[in-house]
Amino acid sequence: MNTLKRFFDSQRGHFLKGGRFERYYPFFESMESIFFAPAEITETGPYVRDSLDVKRYMLLVIVALLPHLFFGIYNAGYQSHLSSGLSLSFFPVVLKGLWIVMPLVIVSYTVGFFWEIVFAVVRKHPISEGLFVSAMLFPLILPPTLPLWQAALGISFGIVIGKEIFGGTGRNFLNPALTGRAFLYFAYPAQNSGDVWTVISGTAAKAVDAFTGATPLAISAATESGSVHQALTREGYTLSKLFFGLYPDSIGASSTLLCIVGAAFLILLGIASYRIILGDIIGVLGMGLLLNALSAEGSLPYLSLNPFYHLLMGGTAFGIAYMTTDPVSAPDMNAAKWVYGIAIGVLTVLIRVFNPAFPEGIMLAILFMNIFAPLLDHIAVRMNLRRRVPNV
Amino acid sequence: MISVKSQKGYRLRLAGPPSAELVALDSPTHIAVLPEHIPFVKPRLKIQVEDSVQVGTVLFEDKRNPDVRFLSPAGGRISDIRFGDRRVIQQIVIRRDLSESFLEFEAVPEKALDGMQPEQLIEILLKGGMWALLRQLPFRDYPPPGSTPPAVFVTIGNLQPFHPHSKVFLRGNEGLFRYGIKILQKLAHGPIFVAAHQSDYQTISTLNDLVTHVYSGDYPAHDAGILVYRTRKDAGNNRSWYIDGQDLLLMAELVKSGKYPTQRVVVVAGNLAAEKKHFRTRMGSPVRHLLNDHPDKGNPRHIAGGVFSGYPVDADGYLGPFESSLTILPDGRGQELLALFRPGYRKPSYSRAFLSAVNPGDFQMDCNRHGGIRACIGCNHCTEVCPVDILPQLTYKSILADAIEEALTHGLLDCVECGLCSYVCPSKIDLFPTLKNAKAAYYREQGRG
Repeated sequence: MNTLKRFFDSQRGHFLKGGRFERYYPFFESMESIFFAPAEITETGPYVRDSLDVKRYMLLVIVALLPHLFFGIYNAGYQSHLSSGLSLSFFPVVLKGLWIVMPLVIVSYTVGFFWEIVFAVVRKHPISEGLFVSAMLFPLILPPTLPLWQAALGISFGIVIGKEIFGGTGRNFLNPALTGRAFLYFAYPAQNSGDVWTVISGTAAKAVDAFTGATPLAISAATESGSVHQALTREGYTLSKLFFGLYPDSIGASSTLLCIVGAAFLILLGIASYRIILGDIIGVLGMGLLLNALSAEGSLPYLSLNPFYHLLMGGTAFGIAYMTTDPVSAPDMNAAKWVYGIAIGVLTVLIRVFNPAFPEGIMLAILFMNIFAPLLDHIAVRMNLRRRVPNV
Repeated sequence: MISVKSQKGYRLRLAGPPSAELVALDSPTHIAVLPEHIPFVKPRLKIQVEDSVQVGTVLFEDKRNPDVRFLSPAGGRISDIRFGDRRVIQQIVIRRDLSESFLEFEAVPEKALDGMQPEQLIEILLKGGMWALLRQLPFRDYPPPGSTPPAVFVTIGNLQPFHPHSKVFLRGNEGLFRYGIKILQKLAHGPIFVAAHQSDYQTISTLNDLVTHVYSGDYPAHDAGILVYRTRKDAGNNRSWYIDGQDLLLMAELVKSGKYPTQRVVVVAGNLAAEKKHFRTRMGSPVRHLLNDHPDKGNPRHIAGGVFSGYPVDADGYLGPFESSLTILPDGRGQELLALFRPGYRKPSYSRAFLSAVNPGDFQMDCNRHGGIRACIGCNHCTEVCPVDILPQLTYKSILADAIEEALTHGLLDCVECGLCSYVCPSKIDLFPTLKNAKAAYYREQGRG
């Protein structure tokens, strides 16, 4: 490890003021601070500081996301082999999953990091750790069949338009990963919706007959008569399958179990706001129940779906655990967080049930409420200030 | 007694607290006054280098109000006057004579105090250089002599690590303390409130008839600003005066004996301090003298006035006459390997992001910043910790946007300058200095500072 220290010490000179690579100091700082804590001491009061920094904060989110990555690798390989009638034993499946998922992750990180460096050098700000979270979230919500160039385009849009043009992490008002995902969804619908959730290996003719590749959301939205539960069960989507997540879906978002574990981990560590998460759940369940109550004979079967299915199907749980709790794009005030969470839950269900063009609602619901977060904050701040005894 | 419970705030479990032992130190050869660290005062020097001074000779007066003077805490010769940037007077050093002579002021026996006019008393305090020990909220400048406050708060104890414990400096001085309260009653027509910590049984029982407020909670629950914030029903008490318990003793000593007081109780603590104790020492002692001439260990940083709201002093410098805390911590310049990935059982944090959340012990700390400066990510830690319910990050943003009215409605003037918002910030944003400086700038803009 002394070698590592010597290496950084010997290279530092080139990146400091007057050095050859002075402009690229943010890159050096970013690399060095992965291995060594910064040496800067306090120059302004207070002269001792908390041990927590943004890097640690973001690293913990990545830690919570790693199980999703591992599960996503397995699931992508498993679905691919299942649909292609290939071996379902562990190692071939994982190898296949790695082959499908890792290129997307690598592209996401490389391209995302490239833009971050470009902006850090041009705008002279440090490389922000938020990037590492965004670049990890982004591939987890992609369909496994997505062409790599689209992944590159998506993360570019997310990082540049969703974040950097506003000044980087902390100054963005949209969730960058979701912004990139939404961009792809609307720009390239053919590759981002429909039968895109399973990579068919070999020739399509070999595909197993029983395989349809439809996601639970697609089935629910397409059911025109009878019960959605029956339609889901007919396709093999039992409650436990939806809960554990071993079905064709975006790479890392299908497992509700892992989302609960991740959310619990982040709440326990004080990183994610339990107010937002509870608000989300209340919103989804409340709106689901309301639709249940409104449903009558002959109305859309989706209306009478048990609200818990909304939490289990698709990306709701993933969005709730990792996207709505992004502290930058969420409101700051506690009261506003409740409203924000509940509104996201309500909108998610509404979009899913009533808008046939969008089988998944959470993405648009979160982006929509991201835009409203400053307004919610504004109202909450005003209410807060009204309680103060003036001191002028 | 009114119970004032401070829900927010934070108790930093900093290792190296002082013992309750009180050690008397000899008089050092040199003593200094540090005008730089007296807030808002614009000093006009009344002496030159090589002038001889007595204890109580005027060293400088405040240009804003020449009646407010600052006196020499030692007798001897002025050996050095050091100026900093823009001719700010950093320190006035006095080389002490072996036998110091005292300037005599009017001594007021306890009986005579009752019959005195407030004007006479103000005159004594101004001449005796003790007026500036009184402070006025919210800017913490000394109050204009002759004005009357809505209330005066006497705060006993200081929860900031590390400050003298009331049982050390009050022991045997209860009579003097009562005398001091009488002075305040003369000066102010409003009520005199005395606040002690809930756990400070000794003070509460011995001064039972005087203590009006019992505060509880974490740092900075002791601060007069918090007491006002937690007890006010309207804007009436916002301009209250306050004085620290130990400072009140100094004021009482001056009036009672007619001599300028020269000694106070100072705490030296922190994990690099060789002797972590209370010291009775001369006001304005050299830092080396307070260390009892123990050699430095490691790379120490000396912080005067507490780790949150204090300031660093040179090891070869002096502790200002009005300071009572010296904390010595490692400067923390080292680069910890893979610090990012460690569970952090020994890393103190307000958050729960380290294993230290389950560590019940005290923490060794250094002066490392523990992270790079980033933009605010909205973690809300500053709001959670702010003892007067300011929304520090929003107030900070409105200050940077020059929206001072907005900052004022957010409660900028309620800020008690505790420094907790900066302490907990994971983005290492300078919330505390920004809010503090904005307050001071607003005061100066009103033409008072």
